Amino acid sequence: MNTKGETQVKTILIGFIVPVLLVIGLEIICKLEIFPSQIVVAPHKVLITFFDLISTGELLEHLRISMYRVLTGFVLGATLGFIFGTVMALSPRSERIIAPLLSALSQVPLFGWIPLLMLWFGIGETFKVVFIAFGAFFPMLINTFEGIHGVPRSYLEVARAFEFSSAKLLHKVLLPAALPSLFTGIKLALGMSWMLVVGAELVAAGEGVGYLIVWGRQLFQMDIVFVGIAVVGSIGYLMFLTLNALEVSLISWHRPLSKK
Amino acid sequence: MKSTGTLSVTNVSKKFRVNNNEIHVLDNINLSVKAGEFISIIGLSGCGKTTLLRLIVGLESDYEGDILLDGRKLNGPSLDRGIVFQDHRLFPWLTVEKNIGLGIVGKSDTEKKEIVNNHIELVGLKGFEKSYPYQLSGGMSQRAAIARSLVNQPEILLLDEPLGALDALTRMYMHKELERIWKKENITMIMVTHDVEEALYLSDKIVVMSARPGKLQKIIPVPLARPRDRASVEFAEMKEKVLEEFMLHTEPHFTYTI
Ligand SMILES: Nc1ncnc2c1ncn2[C@@H]1O[C@H](COP(=O)(O)OP(=O)(O)OP(=O)(O)O)[C@@H](O)[C@H]1O
Ligand SMILES: [Mg+2]
Repeated sequence: MNTKGETQVKTILIGFIVPVLLVIGLEIICKLEIFPSQIVVAPHKVLITFFDLISTGELLEHLRISMYRVLTGFVLGATLGFIFGTVMALSPRSERIIAPLLSALSQVPLFGWIPLLMLWFGIGETFKVVFIAFGAFFPMLINTFEGIHGVPRSYLEVARAFEFSSAKLLHKVLLPAALPSLFTGIKLALGMSWMLVVGAELVAAGEGVGYLIVWGRQLFQMDIVFVGIAVVGSIGYLMFLTLNALEVSLISWHRPLSKK
Repeated sequence: MKSTGTLSVTNVSKKFRVNNNEIHVLDNINLSVKAGEFISIIGLSGCGKTTLLRLIVGLESDYEGDILLDGRKLNGPSLDRGIVFQDHRLFPWLTVEKNIGLGIVGKSDTEKKEIVNNHIELVGLKGFEKSYPYQLSGGMSQRAAIARSLVNQPEILLLDEPLGALDALTRMYMHKELERIWKKENITMIMVTHDVEEALYLSDKIVVMSARPGKLQKIIPVPLARPRDRASVEFAEMKEKVLEEFMLHTEPHFTYTI
């Protein structure tokens, strides 16, 4: 127990080595004034700006707005992806009808849609939510489809032998069996949503963390740019950790070895 | 005494189509099983035992001939035929009790609970209700699968090498268990096995199949009294008789002089 706790602390600490060295290195570089301050800023200045932006409430307001966009876009896109993926996996005919179109659409790089989406939806909230939903849709669709499609035949035969209704089959067999895949889909979709909200805000926005970064650049305030980048990275990482923890607790049967 | 659970298989043939080739797997199988009988099917690997079982369960529908259960023609799988697959096929995301309870149809929650508890007791898994399949041994998983197959009180229970993955000792223990369950539930059982002793210990009749295409080679009644004694002379003689069908019996100089 004790040694296990210790090794866990160690693995977490190891992850901090590189960032800490990086911060120290940056401090030294800034101290020596090798580069002008429009290019790099000392980490401690970034930290001060960070606390400034928090105390004025600005940062949290930007975050709230970005989060709201991410969540609406993610929920919309992932739900549609889940529904399409399920239908395609359950009905080979529907798969034959829609799969070619969807595959072709998914080949277009997401940023290639921006001009079109702007023409259709303007540059307001709708544009951003639709853009994010677009990005969340495909990973969720593909992983839902593969998850349900890949459920072993042997399980389906058990369901047949026990005369499961279709609802029971879906609810008790297909979805649980596909859960690991569904989780992969959710993680990829949420990661994509977070990436796209920043992208959309870089292109067209008056608020949000992406806008914060643009705004810092326009003011030649590198500290604000760095705060923006650090916040985007940290939040993305936190979302990833949360989903991983949720996954481990929900799908313990799937990876018994990862449980102590 | 139950009057249901009779099975009659008449002139059943089954072909599989693989890349435009027809594989003749079962050829003109005739078999009748009385209610409450214990039948074993033995035969070399690939002779069509699993296929025959799948036809009887209703998982394959494209065949010639007739399969009648209590005089009625089969129409797909049904709860009156339980099955224990060779690989136990428990759902890994459900606990033992949920796996066993999942098959129960048309019962209130309290009734369900009682049925599940009774069957967990029947197969000796008390204390493991909340365990997941990965936390069970092979034998325990098979017992859970047997419990699951019994919850709807099928007339016939089909078992496809249910003990194939177990060690010899656990297997002998499971033979006793199976016999006890068979007597208690009073149902017809048809078991596929590779193990002649297992077949002799449990069966009223042994069905020997030959391969390519799968045919019934011989039906050997086993008139020994129960519970059977593996060490008895009669048991050894019956074993010789079955092995003869595979030309594997010991040669004549093996005689008893007491
Ligand atoms: N779905 C299928 N498609 C094509 N051929 C099949 C299929 N299922 C079984 N066969 C063939 O039918 C034959 C009999 O298979 P079956 O599984 O019934 O054998 P078995 O007697 O149960 O063998 P074992 O003792 O090894 O389990 C084999 O030659 C197999 O290749
Ligand atoms: Mg088989």
